[in-house]
Amino acid sequence: MRRSLIPLVLAAGALALSACNSQNQAHKDEAAKGSEAVKQAGDKTIAAGIDQNSSFFKATKAAGLDATLAGPGPYTVIVPDDAAFAKLPEGTLDGWMKPESRTELTRVLTYHILPGTVLASDIGKAIDAGNGKAVLATMGGGTLTATREGDKIILTDGDGHKATMAGTDETLANGVIHRVDGVLMPGKKA
Amino acid sequence: MMKWMLAAGAAALAIASPVSAEKGGHGGKGQGGQQVSADRGGGGGQKQARSNHTGGGQHQARASGGGKHHEAGSAQVNRGDKGHARQTRFVQNDNRGGGRHNDRLRLENHQGNQGRQAMFENRQGDNHQGNQGNRRFEDTGVRVARFDGDRVFRVRDVDRHGGVRFRDVDRDELFGRRLGYGVGGCPPGLAKKGNGCMPPGQAAKFIGQPLVRASRFGVLEPLPRSFNSLFYDNDDYYYRYGGGYVYRVDRHDDLISGLVPLFGAAMIGQPLNPYYVNSFNQPPYYSAFYPNSPYDCHRYGYGYVYETDCMTGLVEDVIPTYASGYGIGQIMPASYSYYNVPYAYRSYYADNNDYYYRYAPGAIYQVDRGSALISAVAALLTGGMTVGQPMPAGYSAYNVPLAYRSTYFDRPDVWYRYDNGYIYAVDPGTQLVRSIAYTV
Repeated sequence: MRRSLIPLVLAAGALALSACNSQNQAHKDEAAKGSEAVKQAGDKTIAAGIDQNSSFFKATKAAGLDATLAGPGPYTVIVPDDAAFAKLPEGTLDGWMKPESRTELTRVLTYHILPGTVLASDIGKAIDAGNGKAVLATMGGGTLTATREGDKIILTDGDGHKATMAGTDETLANGVIHRVDGVLMPGKKA
Repeated sequence: MMKWMLAAGAAALAIASPVSAEKGGHGGKGQGGQQVSADRGGGGGQKQARSNHTGGGQHQARASGGGKHHEAGSAQVNRGDKGHARQTRFVQNDNRGGGRHNDRLRLENHQGNQGRQAMFENRQGDNHQGNQGNRRFEDTGVRVARFDGDRVFRVRDVDRHGGVRFRDVDRDELFGRRLGYGVGGCPPGLAKKGNGCMPPGQAAKFIGQPLVRASRFGVLEPLPRSFNSLFYDNDDYYYRYGGGYVYRVDRHDDLISGLVPLFGAAMIGQPLNPYYVNSFNQPPYYSAFYPNSPYDCHRYGYGYVYETDCMTGLVEDVIPTYASGYGIGQIMPASYSYYNVPYAYRSYYADNNDYYYRYAPGAIYQVDRGSALISAVAALLTGGMTVGQPMPAGYSAYNVPLAYRSTYFDRPDVWYRYDNGYIYAVDPGTQLVRSIAYTV
């Protein structure tokens, strides 16, 4: 009786181990995919990965953040498309480009940069774990709120403006870019 | 991991190369490779071109250009002449300045002294608090106990109750304090950096005045080349820097048309408006950057740190945090006199002949040595995680760099989060930061 129990226990243990291993393997596969993406990016940085003629890149240049985004990082940059900038009230973007309003522009841009590499799937997991809501810290010190709407991830800023993430991870040497369709505003100064 | 490091290294190189190119603009001394010297040539050329722009050369060019149409041409020539006349007037002005400069300076000094005296009298008269302060300083036996070199000395202070206290005093700083910043004395930090100083009300009066007026308060210089993208000279305007301000000058009449105050200079010497302060919102890690002392009181408000003189309440330094738009084109506060870049970033950012790097809340700044202006944000940093403290809000999403994900992935018993060059292990249950798992 006792003799027959031992293999059973061993088998149960092996099963548990293999379950754990398969989970680890999944992570490893995912990580390998990520490493592969970084390898493909070569030495192309976030600064190079943003269209040099886009409004967002011009704004980063005006704020002097283009060199930062070419630095070691890693950063997660939320890039609103040109249409998003066009949606802003008339003259907002031109106003930001003046040397006098670099303060305001910097606040807005650092609200679009997150520390570390956050993939869309990571935000998705955090939303699921946080009962449908995930708070994301930004470099500017403020926070963004991420929620799900259907299969899309929606980012909401301090003023309640919403922007939809395209859901693609553009992996580069020093981080990742997410495209969104709205400019996020940090809201009132804390 | 190796790949990532290599990529990062390449990125660092990419940053470093404009640095060497920049050197040409400054006319720096030679060292380094061929490319650098080629760049240097280019830099010199550009500089020449620009100096032509600013001087009378431009007017002349315009005059000759106008020769095509006769009438218009004459008008242009006229204008050119005017320009020339103005220039000679400028020269005269300068000469006059040269002749009378000393007198005038002396006169101003005299007035300044009078003002100061008046203030001291005032203090001894009806300003009771000030009087007390003075008495405490002089009557209770301040004794110089020891000299440390010739700048810092130790003072023994005996208070009314017989308590003895030692403190170290920076001689320059003490001198500055005695002058009082509000009455024309320069804050020692800025004075040392040669930036000059001027209260903002004074500077605003220069709008619409010729540039020479402003140059009396500090040497005005063209901005270093690295700032061209920020304060870009064009056909209508050019920029000059000095005395804590960047002046925008209209090329057509050579009058100051606008100014950008540089933080750290604009509010100095002014009383701090209590409306600006909301100390309860101060991020906890700021006190490590800006410790209070019996003489320096730091106040935090809406993204700015104000260093004030505890006795007079006057602002000595304004240190905006990065989120409030501090950064590029601004003065690095004089209090950042030593290298303080976090260890994780030291391999990327070492001080060199052209730039030095300083860590202030929110970012590592690259500072131009010549002008003490911030020329780039080398890296953005967050408020940071502390081992043993709760994980800050906003880190619920996994953010470990891709190269490290195969080792540091979230498990039921431990989470990993990246922050400021470190991967931290976080306890999922208590949400406390458990340890530093890896230094990137």
